[in-house]
Amino acid sequence: MAKQFAPKKGIGPGFWPVTVLLTALSVAWVVWLGRTDFATFLPEAAVPADQIDSLFKMLAQMGGVVFIFVFGFLIYLSFAYRVRSGDDVHAIGVQMHDAPSLELGFWIVPTIMVCFISWVSVQIWYGLQQSPGNALTVEAVGHQFFYDFRYPTLWKPVSQELHLPLNEPVTVKVTSSDVIHGFWAPEIRLKADMVPGLVNTLRFTPTRPGTYRIVCTEFCGVAHGSMIGKIVIEPKATFKSWLAAQAHAEGPAPVVAAAAPMVANATHPGGGSAAVAPVAQGDATAGKVVFAAHCSSCHSVGGFDEKLVGPGLGHLLNDPAHPALVTGEKASAAAIAHILHTGYTGPIGMMPNQQQNAISEADIANLTAYLVSLSK
Amino acid sequence: MAVAAPAHANYHDHIHPEPTNFVQKYIFSLDHKIIGIQYFITTFIFYCIAGLLAEVIRVQLLHPTGGFVSNEVYNQVYSVHGSAMVWLVIIPMLTGGFGNFVMPLMIGARDVAFPWLNMASFWMFPVAGALLFSSFLVGAPEAGWTEYPPISLQGPPGTSLWCMAIFLVGVSSTLTGINFLVTIMKMRAPGMTLTRMPLFVWAQLATAMLSMVATTALAGALLALFLERTFGVPFYDPSKGGSPLLWQHMFWFYSHPAVYIMILPAFGIVSEILPTFTRKPLFGYKAVAFSSVGIALVGFMVWAHHMFTSGMVPWLTLPFMILTFFVAVPTGVKVLAWIATLWGGRIRFTAAMLFSLGLIATFTLGGITGVFLAAVPADLHEHGTYFVVAHFHYVLFGGSVFGIFAGMYFWWPKMTGKLMSERLAVAHFWATFIGFNLTFFPMHWLGLMGMPRRVPIYDQQFQSLNVLASIGSFILALSTLLFFANVAYSLTKGKKASSDPWGARTLEWMISSPPPYYNFKKIPSVLALPYDFGEPLPYVGGDLIRPNPQSKFAGE
Repeated sequence: MAKQFAPKKGIGPGFWPVTVLLTALSVAWVVWLGRTDFATFLPEAAVPADQIDSLFKMLAQMGGVVFIFVFGFLIYLSFAYRVRSGDDVHAIGVQMHDAPSLELGFWIVPTIMVCFISWVSVQIWYGLQQSPGNALTVEAVGHQFFYDFRYPTLWKPVSQELHLPLNEPVTVKVTSSDVIHGFWAPEIRLKADMVPGLVNTLRFTPTRPGTYRIVCTEFCGVAHGSMIGKIVIEPKATFKSWLAAQAHAEGPAPVVAAAAPMVANATHPGGGSAAVAPVAQGDATAGKVVFAAHCSSCHSVGGFDEKLVGPGLGHLLNDPAHPALVTGEKASAAAIAHILHTGYTGPIGMMPNQQQNAISEADIANLTAYLVSLSK
Repeated sequence: MAVAAPAHANYHDHIHPEPTNFVQKYIFSLDHKIIGIQYFITTFIFYCIAGLLAEVIRVQLLHPTGGFVSNEVYNQVYSVHGSAMVWLVIIPMLTGGFGNFVMPLMIGARDVAFPWLNMASFWMFPVAGALLFSSFLVGAPEAGWTEYPPISLQGPPGTSLWCMAIFLVGVSSTLTGINFLVTIMKMRAPGMTLTRMPLFVWAQLATAMLSMVATTALAGALLALFLERTFGVPFYDPSKGGSPLLWQHMFWFYSHPAVYIMILPAFGIVSEILPTFTRKPLFGYKAVAFSSVGIALVGFMVWAHHMFTSGMVPWLTLPFMILTFFVAVPTGVKVLAWIATLWGGRIRFTAAMLFSLGLIATFTLGGITGVFLAAVPADLHEHGTYFVVAHFHYVLFGGSVFGIFAGMYFWWPKMTGKLMSERLAVAHFWATFIGFNLTFFPMHWLGLMGMPRRVPIYDQQFQSLNVLASIGSFILALSTLLFFANVAYSLTKGKKASSDPWGARTLEWMISSPPPYYNFKKIPSVLALPYDFGEPLPYVGGDLIRPNPQSKFAGE
């Protein structure tokens, strides 16, 4: 039988000094990290950012301690028990199979740590669920390769720039018109995927004025890398005048008073606010030409079920399935014009909005007249 | 020499003659050892191609405006890099390569349960590789290895080739899983109860269960994607009533367990190497063995942690988060057991041992950042960034690939009968360890500061760390050359290996290097676990070559 190597006494040379050293390092790490303000590396521009940073900090403290001990003991034990030149290479190590109390500790210590991390994470998660978002709701729509933002008081989307008032709890509802995009505001520490046909919600309260990035984090095509938008956080008065300037620049909405929230349709098929406004008088014959050019690749003029990509549009006003299903409104010329303006994302698919379809106000009026005439 | 007798006196006599012609012996071989080596050769070729693709990524990212390749080519390059490394390199090398070569030897079997199935599984691989890499000719997939629809529906024609290639790999992986499961359950040598199995066999058992069950979900998802791309059957396109999230659920139901398919065998390799080079039993055998199965079971219930930002009912994220945290418990037990094994050992720093110790250090870091990503609120910041890229390279390179190299150095003498140069191998380890950390450590910071994944260009502020990462990756690429130089050296000038050059005690070391056709002329009986150094070997009968206790170890 080969000679069994055994430590000279007790638990072995250097064990306690190393343990003390690693403990000291761990304490130093926890204290240093505790005193570090993450906002100096990356600003915290909104309220849950501090919460998320505090969770990250806790994880980094615990993870750092685990790493210090694992790595420290790995190096210490490797060197302490290495075969030195001149040693009998056939000597064997301590023939220890296990040590029940130590092994129990190996199960219990990680379990306790994991329970603690779960508890803290659930609490912070619960805090995020409670974020108010009642002051303003903006809809963010991802396109290849830019962001559109829709405000309740504007009927045209604002491209690429999300202006938000300081210290007002906001809700951003995100969706997409084509493929999956990401909406990530690193300085707010929040992210949601923009999934076509689905609405995800972010709620936060901007607390730090400035201009920040919106970064696309889901691969969305050839220009994914340059899909970067802007968040402008500004005092409430500045925000209001910006919003007024936008409203002024786009002029009055010619057909509908205010665009009902597009994405509201997706979450609550019955929840779209009615857009009742006089519909501009259009020419059905001209509308037929527009339909052939812009709509016919996706829509037939048959019944609702005669789908190409979208439903057939032959009997809009007297088909009970349509368009009430789409907007929750009573079928009307105004509702038709509304969808032509805002586009649609919801349970039956998605349709691009006015800008993407490249149709003018006159086109919408003519199309509406044409579609109404089909129902007669 | 064994000769097949017309009537078998007992099972020891049932040995067919070795095929003599080249094609049957080396090409369409039924021998698990040859098939294992075939896996190694093909997967190392794929490893080199996929590694070169990674270097294209790193050259592109040397500069914030890119410019080395076009955006389209860049997207194709990283998509094929990821797909190839996961499906054509790590999974087949750890299961097909090590599983095939080592596992039957370890359990005292003459081959796997279904040798024809084994050959069929292998031959799907070169076909899958050809399909995947040839997709560059028609436009390779661009949407990353995850190929989320709807963007993958718009992808170039090669995306359909990708579907076919991965489907084939999936079939192969499922068949190998069934094959290994039956082999381990039914073909162990007499006396080798489940709790006398070497730990590498336990790891292969857990992996086989995972491959067998999870891969079917991937196959279904891939078939649906292929049908939608080719025939317009609307599974995933929301504008036709499909659901993009359906793909994500199906994909991750496979691909999360796949992470464990990629890491458990590497854990098994470490669990064999540590006892050998500390010359003591692994601490807590049962805890380490059962924790593999525990990881495999919990691994099925955590897939949606890849989808915290995708959109699901908020409360549903909680069970996925907490279950993911709990994967850390069996994993932590393994790491702590490995460290406890070092205590009181007689440690020899061979290359295999260094790669194992390197795995413990780097994998632990990858595991820790995994907990960061599992915490839902923190994931809202980290998801889809370079933090994720850093995390999974620490797991898949720092874990799986380190394990692969550890295993290569450990079993190379058994496979070839030749020794490698330890000096060169140790240089390979240090170059890899340094290059690896230099490449991937800065990516944690890049991600947290705002750099998203899968971008060919980036903000100016990220340049210095990207340059550092690229330099690291060049070191990593060069370090691989040291390995191939060692292979060439060993095959031409390497010293002859004895049957047991490291002083290990599992069954594969009790037969000649390389092992004879049919491994064990007489199958031994197993009396105990193999790891009790100093005790007599726990094997009775068989025609084992018992190592001379006075012979020198390789690498001294």
